[in-house]
Amino acid sequence: MLLFTFINSLTLAMAVFLVAGGLTLVFGIMRILNFAHGAFFMFGAYLTSSILRDSPGSIWALIGASLVAAAVAGVIGLVVQHVVLNRLRDVDEHFSLIATYAVMLMSVGTIKLIWGLEFHSVNPPPELRGGSNIFGTFVPNFSLFIIAAGVVVFILLDTAIHRAWFGKIAIAIARDGWTSNLMGINSTLGINIVVAGSFALAGLAGGLLLPNQTLSPSLGDVFLLLAFITMVIGGLGNIRGAFIAALLLGLVDGFNVYFMPDAPGILIYVGMVLCLLLWPNGLLGESRL
Amino acid sequence: MSSSVAERAAGRKSPVNRTNINRALILIFVVALLFVPLMVNAGLLYLVGTTLVLGVYCVGWNVLFSWAGLASFGSGGLFALGAYVSAVTLRAGWGEYFLLILVAAALVGGAVAALIGLIALRRTTGIFLAILTLSLAELLRHTLMQMRWLGSEDGISGIVRPIVNLGFVRVDLTSGPAYYWFICALAALVIALCWWVAHGPNGRRMLASRHDVQRAAFVGIDTYRTRLLAFVISGAVAGFAGGLYAPWAQIVTPELSGMFRSTQPILFTLLGGLHSFWGPLIGAFVFMVVEYATRTLIGIQEIITGGILLAVVLVFRSGIAGGWNALIDWLFPDRESR
Repeated sequence: MLLFTFINSLTLAMAVFLVAGGLTLVFGIMRILNFAHGAFFMFGAYLTSSILRDSPGSIWALIGASLVAAAVAGVIGLVVQHVVLNRLRDVDEHFSLIATYAVMLMSVGTIKLIWGLEFHSVNPPPELRGGSNIFGTFVPNFSLFIIAAGVVVFILLDTAIHRAWFGKIAIAIARDGWTSNLMGINSTLGINIVVAGSFALAGLAGGLLLPNQTLSPSLGDVFLLLAFITMVIGGLGNIRGAFIAALLLGLVDGFNVYFMPDAPGILIYVGMVLCLLLWPNGLLGESRL
Repeated sequence: MSSSVAERAAGRKSPVNRTNINRALILIFVVALLFVPLMVNAGLLYLVGTTLVLGVYCVGWNVLFSWAGLASFGSGGLFALGAYVSAVTLRAGWGEYFLLILVAAALVGGAVAALIGLIALRRTTGIFLAILTLSLAELLRHTLMQMRWLGSEDGISGIVRPIVNLGFVRVDLTSGPAYYWFICALAALVIALCWWVAHGPNGRRMLASRHDVQRAAFVGIDTYRTRLLAFVISGAVAGFAGGLYAPWAQIVTPELSGMFRSTQPILFTLLGGLHSFWGPLIGAFVFMVVEYATRTLIGIQEIITGGILLAVVLVFRSGIAGGWNALIDWLFPDRESR
């Protein structure tokens, strides 16, 4: 039972990280807290469900459909970036919060318009339907899949940002776009790429997390809030911080489920408030990517 | 809309100027509001009453935002607290002392805001404060959903509108129009109080600390206390509005503490006009009209609301109030101030 709870909390942690990763990217490079991220997450989930029609044929079909959703979300993200986010660079942070909130409203409205209000649900692909036996505990395969997906995405992101040349360029743009421009870096292009990547990640997360979820137009809000909390605890714009905070959040929730089953979902918020008061800048500190 | 000394001096020269036009408009609007119950059916009356209550709530939030420069994303939680205070006490049959109940709701809202502000304002502003307040409201929502004596997820329904004992006279508020006029009276009172705070020395101090915290501190303003005061005032108004809302809607649910309610003041304020005292009220009524007009169009409603907001933020940053004032200034140019 303890192990089962542990695996469940890891699953939640990685699911939240998948959403928070993209949020962190866009905050890191543009200093914008993107409310629309949850809506794009939902969009990815809906699009994947339309591609797959109720049940995916195999695990690769699920991943493939998610990648398609990611690509579409990324392209739409570029449009949003061009029309909205680009104009928010020098305005008060409250305005940018509200602008992205408006984008969220419009995206949710569009989703309702296209897919309606009914609840959809999608089965996991056949390979992931059963469970595995780990130390005598039944663990759903789908949970293992999500954990793996989260870890892989984290490793990819972390390597890309902290090791690869293009990550270093992105960091340079995030720290000082004007100076990077002088150094011959096309910072507008760089920002566009990172923002598109962030939206694509939202779409990808939506697709990967789709099975076993009930799709409804309020799905995005739940994940968005948890992702916000993760970001704030880990340190805004800090990808490693987001990963650690997601793990913490998952564990706290697991603790809550295990020891206080009568009051689900409360400890996360208590923990978050305490964390913010003790480390107002997040565990690893605020960072620009 | 705050009129400077120069504008007031100019106002004496020509009777048709911005200040007078706006005053006349407010007067017409208030009279129209008072006659609403005689003109429309119960459904619309409910809508107008709700908008009025929300308008009061948002005026309080705006004191925090436009004056002290702090954005709380969790005032829905304080609204919910006030609503539950009122719902529980009315369920216990204390309707006679409804005015005291409202005071209690305001006190609870203010006290909780003070508690949060005491700790939070020392360390956080901006995005951190936004997320912190958002999560606190969410925490409250989750807690309310667990409380069985507060009706768990279904909330408290069938709240009876009270018959208030004013000492010398008993006022029956059980009918819709009666309660509506009650809302009007109290809304006027609270808005007047907010106006008084915002345009007095405390309001000036809040404005100073919004414009530049460091300079405000240099000239001797205790910025922490000023911000805390704004936080408490907006919390008390939110609690009060919640208390007023519960018998009007006759049902309270944990959803009152959700993100939707907490973000409403932001939408109303921005649409109506940022940094304008009347902005939230204008925004509330315009939103009411938009929502009512698009109520049957699922999905399109959100797109229109979002589109309006986006237009306000990107193109039209001073909102309706700012646009209106600019229009009037253009139509009736004030020669004195040019």
